[in-house]
Amino acid sequence: MAYFRITLLRSAIGLPLKSRQTLSALGLKKRMATVYHPVTQTIAGQIMRVKELVDVAEVAEPKTVQQMREARRPDPGYYVEKTYGSGDRIV
Amino acid sequence: MFGPFRLTNPLSGGLLWKIPWRLSRHQKYRQRNRLRHVDSVISTVEAALGRQSKTIRKVEMWKAEMPVEQEMLPKDKYTVFDRKVKRYRKGIHKVPKWTRVSQRLNPPGF
Repeated sequence: MAYFRITLLRSAIGLPLKSRQTLSALGLKKRMATVYHPVTQTIAGQIMRVKELVDVAEVAEPKTVQQMREARRPDPGYYVEKTYGSGDRIV
Repeated sequence: MFGPFRLTNPLSGGLLWKIPWRLSRHQKYRQRNRLRHVDSVISTVEAALGRQSKTIRKVEMWKAEMPVEQEMLPKDKYTVFDRKVKRYRKGIHKVPKWTRVSQRLNPPGF
């Protein structure tokens, strides 16, 4: 099943109530927020209403909040070879 | 003569904040990018619905009547019709919320 990945790029401050309510119906509360919705005619119509404000892509699977957060996390710059007490112990 | 405290009309007292009558080339560049971004959103939505062999009226209407960025004349990208202005055209940056509204069509002949 295909999904729309919708990201709010521009705020709807000062725009008509219909646009702002459409965004809240899509679950977009602040800029750069991303939501996933199945590809349906209803959702497509809602995207058309706020097309100037959002970025849209079609994806196969939705990501959870945890997955999106992990994708944003920067590379720590090191990797753990061995932790104390986890490897083979000399008895 | 130069620097932040130079004597210009806006700084030498009084309310004089002028909006230039035409867009700068950087404003035009960003305007083109915004137009293209809206085009890409529409084509994404259309393609996604098309894969399920569906469509919606809003997309169809947009496709039928709205030109894409490449088809538009520079005149229509950066100016809009206004009946109150001399020669019936004003810069699109005078339109309220102009970076977040789609204003592409103008009356024929103007």
